[in-house]
Amino acid sequence: MANIAQKPTGETLEVEENLKENLGSKILELKVPRNRRIFVSVEKTAFREAAEYLTKNLEFKHISTITGRDAGGQTEVIYHLNRRGVELSLRVQIPPREATLPTITDLIPGAVLYEREVHDLLGVKFEGHPDLSPLILPEEWPTGVYPLKKEWTVEKIREKIANLEKR
Amino acid sequence: MSEAAFQIPVGPQHPALKEAPENFTFTIDGEYVVDVKARIGYNHRGIEKAAEGRSYIQNLYLVERVCGICSIAHVSTYTQAVEEALNLEIPSRAKYIRTIIYELNRVASHYLWLGLAGHEIGFDTLFMYLWRDREIALNILEQITGNRVTYAAFAIGGVRRDISPQMVENAKSGLSVLAERMKYYKKLCLNEPTVLKRAVGVGVLKPQDAIALCAVGPTLRASGIKSDVRADDPYLVYDEVPFNVVTYDGCDVASRVLVRCDETLVSISIIKHALDHLPDGPIRVKAPRIVPPAEVVSRTEAPRGELIHYLRSNGTDKPERLKIRSPTLGNIPSICKSLIGGFVADIPIALASADPCFTCTDRMAFVNVSNGKRWVWTKEQLRRYSLKWYQQN
Repeated sequence: MANIAQKPTGETLEVEENLKENLGSKILELKVPRNRRIFVSVEKTAFREAAEYLTKNLEFKHISTITGRDAGGQTEVIYHLNRRGVELSLRVQIPPREATLPTITDLIPGAVLYEREVHDLLGVKFEGHPDLSPLILPEEWPTGVYPLKKEWTVEKIREKIANLEKR
Repeated sequence: MSEAAFQIPVGPQHPALKEAPENFTFTIDGEYVVDVKARIGYNHRGIEKAAEGRSYIQNLYLVERVCGICSIAHVSTYTQAVEEALNLEIPSRAKYIRTIIYELNRVASHYLWLGLAGHEIGFDTLFMYLWRDREIALNILEQITGNRVTYAAFAIGGVRRDISPQMVENAKSGLSVLAERMKYYKKLCLNEPTVLKRAVGVGVLKPQDAIALCAVGPTLRASGIKSDVRADDPYLVYDEVPFNVVTYDGCDVASRVLVRCDETLVSISIIKHALDHLPDGPIRVKAPRIVPPAEVVSRTEAPRGELIHYLRSNGTDKPERLKIRSPTLGNIPSICKSLIGGFVADIPIALASADPCFTCTDRMAFVNVSNGKRWVWTKEQLRRYSLKWYQQN
């Protein structure tokens, strides 16, 4: 089957080359599936450096959103950054037991709600974030229930809430 | 309490038109807003979680219901993501029909918004006129898709209904009326003292704040930043259709009004171009039900701004993860910023000017910094206060 994806050109290739050159040793995986789409994976220890490099040196100043995902055994956090249409997804995997990451709200103030959302739904703590109070979940939401974790099926969440209400 | 008594919970949801309540806490000093805190989630429906338990085809209808006004934006972004994961090229005619429906939806949405803005500033005549004219757009959509609001027009692999030559004719005559009317409303907004007094210099969002707080859509473009997914990251047929990205640099409510007026005209010309250049051929290809493991970032320009879906498939008929970020969430930090320093009486229109998908911010808490007094208003109370205040001042 022919590949429908547009071949990467111009700016996308420039960013790819720049990343290989300057962050090369820190990158676990670098994928460019099509024009204007770049996926970069880094270790947790290199995350802050990568985020600073992307926002300050490469001018990825817009954040589209942050995706949190339960990747079985690991919690995956993907930062979808944008520069003039080139969408770069910076991926970092962290163990759920020490689910912490440094905040990027000092680099991109617009990330403030997206970090709170991931905190609500997957329990990732963003160190240095100004206010991690619940954004989406209600105040009386049971502690330790992170709805986007695969172990929390809809039935289990319902049961947990029903038990809380009985008490 | 007797057994016959019912408990009827009302609020924070408003049971009528005002679809999704949010809570804003304002700190005020006299008539000025000093600080704003937003609390969302009163209507969080867990759609991302629900999507993981449904097949790709079932999700078409789930995703369409993320938003009632810009339903097409979500379906379009979603189908595009699934098709990229499947490596499936859809027929050219289907792309054109999708573009036509997407832009018609934008026209209907902008008409709706401009009417609501009129309502917020106490100009209900404008509201009535715009909502009457919006019917033309809805009628065209109904003729093409069979529905007025949730269209169910897209399928994975194409569209479900074709456009007949008769529909093209009807759509064109309706669009000419819509264009004429919008030109008139733009002229009216530029000259009518009621609009000018309530919109010029109100709800200011400086370009550097808009960029730092990652504003999207007309809110960003009204601060003079040229950014539009249709132009920067083209999808469907936006790289084949000529159009320009509208910006204004007033950074206020008036600019947001003008951006949307002009965008409606641009959308109408895009639709006309697409109707004239509709290629022949099939409208749909067969799509497999199982999606191989892949990850896709799909973006489109919804009426309210950049919409992004992240899809991860795992080789089954259900997604592993579907992340949706609608433009309103992206605009909340900038809305809050634009309220600070303004009048309490300007809150309704300044809030509405970002066209937030929660048309009603149901309850508002106020804290007066000079005496520490705290009280709660509903949106309607605030709107009435605002209109009265402007009558007296």
